[in-house]
Amino acid sequence: MPQFESHFFSSLIFWEVLSFSILLWVLYKFAFPPILKILEERERKIRESLEQAERHRSEAERKLQEYEAKLNAASREAEAVMAQAKERAQRLLEENEQRLEADAERIKADTAREIEHERRKAVQEIRAQATDLALLVAEKVVGRSLNDQDHRRLADEALQAVAETYRKG
Amino acid sequence: MDNPLHPFELHPFGQLSLFGLDISLNQAVIMMWVVVAVVAGLLIVAGTSKRLVPTKFQSLAELLVDFIRGMILETMGKDGMRFFPFLATLFLFILFCNLLGLIPGLYTVTSQIVVTAAFALFVYGMSVVVGLARHGVKFLGILIPPGTPLWLLPLMMPIELISQLARPLSLAVRLFANMTAGHTVLAVLFGMALSLPLLIAWLPFAFTIAINGLEVIIAFIQAYIFTILTCVYLGDAMHLHGQDEHAH
Repeated sequence: MPQFESHFFSSLIFWEVLSFSILLWVLYKFAFPPILKILEERERKIRESLEQAERHRSEAERKLQEYEAKLNAASREAEAVMAQAKERAQRLLEENEQRLEADAERIKADTAREIEHERRKAVQEIRAQATDLALLVAEKVVGRSLNDQDHRRLADEALQAVAETYRKG
Repeated sequence: MDNPLHPFELHPFGQLSLFGLDISLNQAVIMMWVVVAVVAGLLIVAGTSKRLVPTKFQSLAELLVDFIRGMILETMGKDGMRFFPFLATLFLFILFCNLLGLIPGLYTVTSQIVVTAAFALFVYGMSVVVGLARHGVKFLGILIPPGTPLWLLPLMMPIELISQLARPLSLAVRLFANMTAGHTVLAVLFGMALSLPLLIAWLPFAFTIAINGLEVIIAFIQAYIFTILTCVYLGDAMHLHGQDEHAH
């Protein structure tokens, strides 16, 4: 085999050591630092991005929970307000009804009183007119005129008698 | 038909010596220079475009570097990153020696046993030095697997010693043999394709193409195996018997 021709060994080993050393030095000096740096930087960046994403996610979750809690509170509050409003409306309604009823009652009573009053007035008027009429008729019948006081007295007596009769009848 | 081992022959370009040592240039030496230039060029150019979102070129180099980094972190933990420059250079050098050698006409440096042996011995020697520096005499405990009963020691220690000494040997031979075998098969098949009549020559030629594809994978795998075994040996030396394994 040509690889075992030992007279090449010295030159091969010499140049191997030399070229490997040169390569090692060149890479160590110029190539590895920037490449390793960029690799590490990228790794760091990715890790940071992941961490940041995780942070954002948890923050978003927390916010969501917060908002949900707020929403719940708000809806509970709204319900409470609604219930209060309903209750108040109910109370107002009832109050109004009571007041209106009372008003109606009062108006009815007033009207009844007025009617009664008017009736009495009417009865008195009728009575007075009836008296006058009766006197007129009596004057014509008696044919002479009684003085006024006599008239009154007689008429009153007559009416008393009539009223008496009514009461008995 | 050509001799299938012909591609492994070296032809010195003239004579060159240093302190009496023959350092004549040949195809393998030129290829080493080419590999150094390609690897250095690739990584330096990739390193200069320091974009967080990488270009295609940059991501190729970063892929390689990150691959080696992952290998080290997995086998040795964080303190293994001290050896990163050496291990990364080793991996890239072997990988590109393997890969560029697949280009027809170019020489495969790693098909020279002396080249792989030099790497293997250096790597093994380094693991021993690291172990001794870190654990002192206790490093010899690497010859005693944990939990060995006392009466088995006379048996276990020679076995472990042999397995230790087999490490550099297997490292060197594995890479050399894989590269040599692959190229020999390619040479044989291509020789057949050239010497046979065209009617059937397409068959070995098709195989040449298929095996060349396979060789690309093998080139990568062998570089990976060489480097990860280096990591394992260094890791063994650093964390004797898996002690302070949780260091990473």
